[in-house]
Amino acid sequence: MTLDSAKADQWTSLVLFVLGAAMLVGGYTMDRLEIRQIHPASIPGLVPIILGAAMMLCSGLLFWSARHRAGEATEANGTPISEGSLKNLAFAAGYSVVYAIGLVGWLPFWLATAIYISVFYVHFSWQADATNRSRLLHAGLGLAFGLVGAFAIATLFEHGFLVRLP
Amino acid sequence: MDALASLSLAFQQFATSEMLFHVVWATLLGIFVGSLPGLTATMGVALLTTLTYTLDRDAAILVLICMYVGAIYGGSRSAILLNIPGTPASAATSLDGYPLAQSGRAGYAMALATAGSAIGTMVGILLLVLLAPPLAEAALRFGSFEFFWLAVFGIIISGQLTGGISPLKGYIAGLLGLMVAMVGSEGIHAHIRFNFGIQELNGGIGLIPAMVGAFGFAEVLTVMWRRKAKVVDKPAERDRILPKLVDLWRYKFTIGRSGVIGTMVGIIPGVGEDIGAWASYAAARRTSKERDQFGKGSLEGLTAAETGNSAVVPGALIPALTLAVPGSAPAAVLIAALFIHGVRPGPMIMIEQPEFVYSVAVMLVFATIAIAVFGLFLTRFFVLVLKVPREILMPLVFTLCVIGPYALTQRTFEIWVMVGFGLVGFLLRQMNYPMAPLVLGIILGALLDKSLRRGLTLSDGDLTPFFTRPISATFVIIIALSIALGIPAVRRAISRALDSLLRRQKEGMTDG
Repeated sequence: MTLDSAKADQWTSLVLFVLGAAMLVGGYTMDRLEIRQIHPASIPGLVPIILGAAMMLCSGLLFWSARHRAGEATEANGTPISEGSLKNLAFAAGYSVVYAIGLVGWLPFWLATAIYISVFYVHFSWQADATNRSRLLHAGLGLAFGLVGAFAIATLFEHGFLVRLP
Repeated sequence: MDALASLSLAFQQFATSEMLFHVVWATLLGIFVGSLPGLTATMGVALLTTLTYTLDRDAAILVLICMYVGAIYGGSRSAILLNIPGTPASAATSLDGYPLAQSGRAGYAMALATAGSAIGTMVGILLLVLLAPPLAEAALRFGSFEFFWLAVFGIIISGQLTGGISPLKGYIAGLLGLMVAMVGSEGIHAHIRFNFGIQELNGGIGLIPAMVGAFGFAEVLTVMWRRKAKVVDKPAERDRILPKLVDLWRYKFTIGRSGVIGTMVGIIPGVGEDIGAWASYAAARRTSKERDQFGKGSLEGLTAAETGNSAVVPGALIPALTLAVPGSAPAAVLIAALFIHGVRPGPMIMIEQPEFVYSVAVMLVFATIAIAVFGLFLTRFFVLVLKVPREILMPLVFTLCVIGPYALTQRTFEIWVMVGFGLVGFLLRQMNYPMAPLVLGIILGALLDKSLRRGLTLSDGDLTPFFTRPISATFVIIIALSIALGIPAVRRAISRALDSLLRRQKEGMTDG
């Protein structure tokens, strides 16, 4: 399975077509500022209309070429998903989003960052076959790394660049 | 004479202990970033932009240029030792660099890559000094009609050359970038478009959060997704770490040609270092006497690729400074940084701040000297850098991705933009959509929008001047040819026509 397969391209083309159509309609229905008596050729929606139409055209061509490719049964040349670890990807993406959108702003920045760095490090370097003692040591190392990293970054931005941290 | 005087003045200005200190740390950091697979020059420049707000203009731009030059060069380390290009710019380097490392010549391969990079950048700097002033002067003749076509040309060419086998995906990426640029207050009537009731979108989507997301967060995800790579660590690699002058002399034509090709590729909007390396590599392979060695550990192939990608850096700065159109993705971030620090790139630069182009040339010279010195004498240190575990580095990088864009405006909204662009950028990359046209679209969106509407207002809605003015007509012809050549059926027809023409000529000569 690849993310660059003909099937993936067909689905993407549909999404892009809808996006193009939305932009075209958005541009067409946009305020033409008649009340300000602007030149009709300078309406704010003009370029969005053109871009929307161009995207619809390109997505149509993408759909057509993807169908053609599927018909020829040629293999896609993208990165096979099996080459990487989906579990790692899901954790890295999910956990990073939780940190950026949830933890930052809810907890003090240094604490949110210390938790993020520690858990990230411990999760990705965890050894299932290690003894309890070495696991404990590992978790302690992760916590220390998280605290030092968070302190360094928070200090740099707060005192070095005078940023009011979130 | 003026140019020489300006260069000498710039040298004096930058040869201070403070500036040299910036050169040292920023170039080392750049090589570090470039060495690590997944961290690219664009991400490095974007993140460092957020750390240079408090520096004065010259120091900030110097730091960013050193990061850019260092990162492009640093990519060769992992290309040679891991067979994974540290940055996309070093993909061609791994073809010959890795076989050399496997045969125990990693040290010499890195030395040659260093020499190639340094000479390539110097060739580019020379062309920057020679070409930037006349280009800026020529751009003074550009009006709204020409600027509109320049923006279209940038998107089309960038999409065409970075889209690989499918220029269509390049065009789509460019269109997506232009669509992003349509969000927020437009530049003629200050009308707010597509803000969906979200006040934070009134000012548009910031380039820095978008770039940090698309290049920083997306790269963190890519690195964590992939399997770990192994460093080639043979005892036999303790070979020569200084390039032999005889080798450099033997490849003098390859170096010169690759330098010029790299710079020219850099001048083309939004194309970038990877294409510069591949184009130089292909040209070297075509003309080489040892072409059968290419891909198996050819010193000439390695030199061509490294010279080509490094020469793109000064080349990419030529349109960035004189037209405000970036030649590569890192140059796009650099344009944003220039605006932040009060420099207005564009055709007026040679009138408003003529000394700035020469200052940039001198900054590049300092960065080049730094990569040459560090590259040749810190080889063993950079091998150690490659062994930094990703689980240590990546959470730190992501934390900087979060706090960097926030620091610019101190709005949490910028973090959301970064996250959104990171997730979408990751998916688009995996689906083989190039990122350079997307970035170029975001940068050129406002120019394209304003120029088209201003031009139409000037011509009272008449489209004719867009096609009849000499410079506009030239752009139209190039754009039409580029699109036509991107269509496989047209390419096949042209090649068939050329074949039959050649055959007829041959037959004619035989008959004669």
